[in-house]
Amino acid sequence: MNLITIGLNHRTGPVEVRERISFPKAKLGEATCSLLAAVPLHEAAILSTCNRVEIYGLTSDASRASGAVRRFLHEHHGLIESVEAHLYEFRDHECVQHLLEVTCGLDSMVIGETEILGQVKEAYLMAQQAGATGMALNRLFQKAFAAAKHVRTATAITRGSTSVGSVAVDLAEKIFRDLGSRTVMVLGTGEMSEATARTLRSRGAGSIIVCSRTQERAETLASQLDGCAISYNEWPTEFPAVDVVISSTAAPHPILTLEKLMPLMKLRKQRPLFLIDIAVPRDIERACGELENVYLYDIDDLQQIAQQNIAAREREIVGCHALIAEHVERFIVWFGSNRGALEKRYAERTRDASLPREAHTHAS
Amino acid sequence: MSDRGYLWLALLFYATSCALAILRLRECGSLPALRRLNSVVMICGFALHTMFLFVRGHNVGRCPLTNSCDTTVFITWAAVLFYLLIGSSYRVSFLGEFTAPLVLAICLVALLALSDTPPAQPLSRSPWVHFHAAIAILAYGAFALAFVTGGMYLVQERQLKTRQLSSSFLLLPSIEQLDVINFRLIVLGFGMLTVGMVGGMISYRIVGHWTTPKIVWAVAAWLIYGLVLVARRVWSLRGRKIALMSMVSFAFVLVTFWGASFLSSAQHGSP
Repeated sequence: MNLITIGLNHRTGPVEVRERISFPKAKLGEATCSLLAAVPLHEAAILSTCNRVEIYGLTSDASRASGAVRRFLHEHHGLIESVEAHLYEFRDHECVQHLLEVTCGLDSMVIGETEILGQVKEAYLMAQQAGATGMALNRLFQKAFAAAKHVRTATAITRGSTSVGSVAVDLAEKIFRDLGSRTVMVLGTGEMSEATARTLRSRGAGSIIVCSRTQERAETLASQLDGCAISYNEWPTEFPAVDVVISSTAAPHPILTLEKLMPLMKLRKQRPLFLIDIAVPRDIERACGELENVYLYDIDDLQQIAQQNIAAREREIVGCHALIAEHVERFIVWFGSNRGALEKRYAERTRDASLPREAHTHAS
Repeated sequence: MSDRGYLWLALLFYATSCALAILRLRECGSLPALRRLNSVVMICGFALHTMFLFVRGHNVGRCPLTNSCDTTVFITWAAVLFYLLIGSSYRVSFLGEFTAPLVLAICLVALLALSDTPPAQPLSRSPWVHFHAAIAILAYGAFALAFVTGGMYLVQERQLKTRQLSSSFLLLPSIEQLDVINFRLIVLGFGMLTVGMVGGMISYRIVGHWTTPKIVWAVAAWLIYGLVLVARRVWSLRGRKIALMSMVSFAFVLVTFWGASFLSSAQHGSP
């Protein structure tokens, strides 16, 4: 009896390959059933996200299963070109370790991201609903979730934001008491300012005012963010009521200078003001950040903080591996002592192929 | 156990809280158990702190405000009381970790450097005297916690201004929240001090004596905090300047109290 995983991720395969062999969520159950029918696996689960496609399984004949899974991947997706070169394969100890590392976010593009845990949970649930999991995979996935929880609470691997947008929101949360009553002004529409505004919105920012030289673009973004659009000339009049400014205009010179800001701060009665300048060349004079109650961050500041957070997460990796190793070891011990029982169970089932798989699942 | 024994034990708990704060900073707050543990440690410290006041009050047969030592300890007790009330109701994270070192330091000064002898003159039993003194002490407790929140504000504000975010960045609350709590504490303290002073005037009419340094001290504190209120409300000062003012004001009030009681110990002894 062997555990086996075959798949590819963002490091081994480019997006052109990943998108061709990914499994749409709606058809995952169906795909799992056809996988079990085509491949000599007793138990199976398919994990398919934008960064990875992996098949986990339990088999009595690892080398035959390996070839069959590879063939299945090609045949199921009707691939003409081989993706063989991008695939990796792990067995037993390595397979367990890999799943635990994936679930803990150590194998992700952004180390420590937590979205993957939900995705693994979903993949497991789909496989379970399709009746494809049994004693071994049930236990393996439960172990993976337990390890993820342990690693998350015992290390700082998920700490600190790693993208410009979320770093900006973290800062906003440390300046303002609650974002719900705050007004955000988006000056100039760009991909980055849009993403930042969206993150602020999703974390509860009150109202959003979008202001762009092209009224049409302002209105489109405003409607997406459930905010209101104003014409470019209006921004100074709206400014005193604003708490957060995300600026990314194409202006060649600073549009907000110290001279302009000083009287505005008086009008605002010195309420804190968070200026996010993601334009290059910069929109806001650096000296504005020296005014009291004004907090100015430009694109470099935000990127630097994101980099520091990534570096801090990377320092946690060693500790994470140590914790994961403990969980892997415990699972391997269990797997070793239950190998016989698994063999017996699946030998019986092979003899009596008419017995529904669910019965085994419940028995476990 | 002697009353001072209870206080030493309380200080042991406050010192533990300081150690936990350092641990939390090192762990970047990744251990949620440390936060809960710190709350428990602070509550234990507060319970022993209360025991000190209770036993001391029992021993002297009145509200334990007989000398500069127990008055100082009473002020820190009030500060911890406000921490327990505000920290839980406003969910101010890391407030306890900042309160503990201040309380520890002030109590150490009280135990080691201040006179802890019973007053020489017979004490008034008028409830007004007790009331005005106790409420004024609560006011100073609020000012002490305003000092703490002011300090937290300055730490967090500095990180935001210099863009150097240390491990305390995520643990500390937002500067706006600290600003609001700091101001509310000053308003509360000022209100109680005013009531205390009115109570003091009434008790003067009943008892008929006063101690000059203490009156000067109370009026000075009242004027200083009145100035902070004016600065905030009328001059629209916010944030950093108010935080600094609240810290300087408390430091000034505390130091002059110790100075004044040193002077008055020659005259009256009782604060």
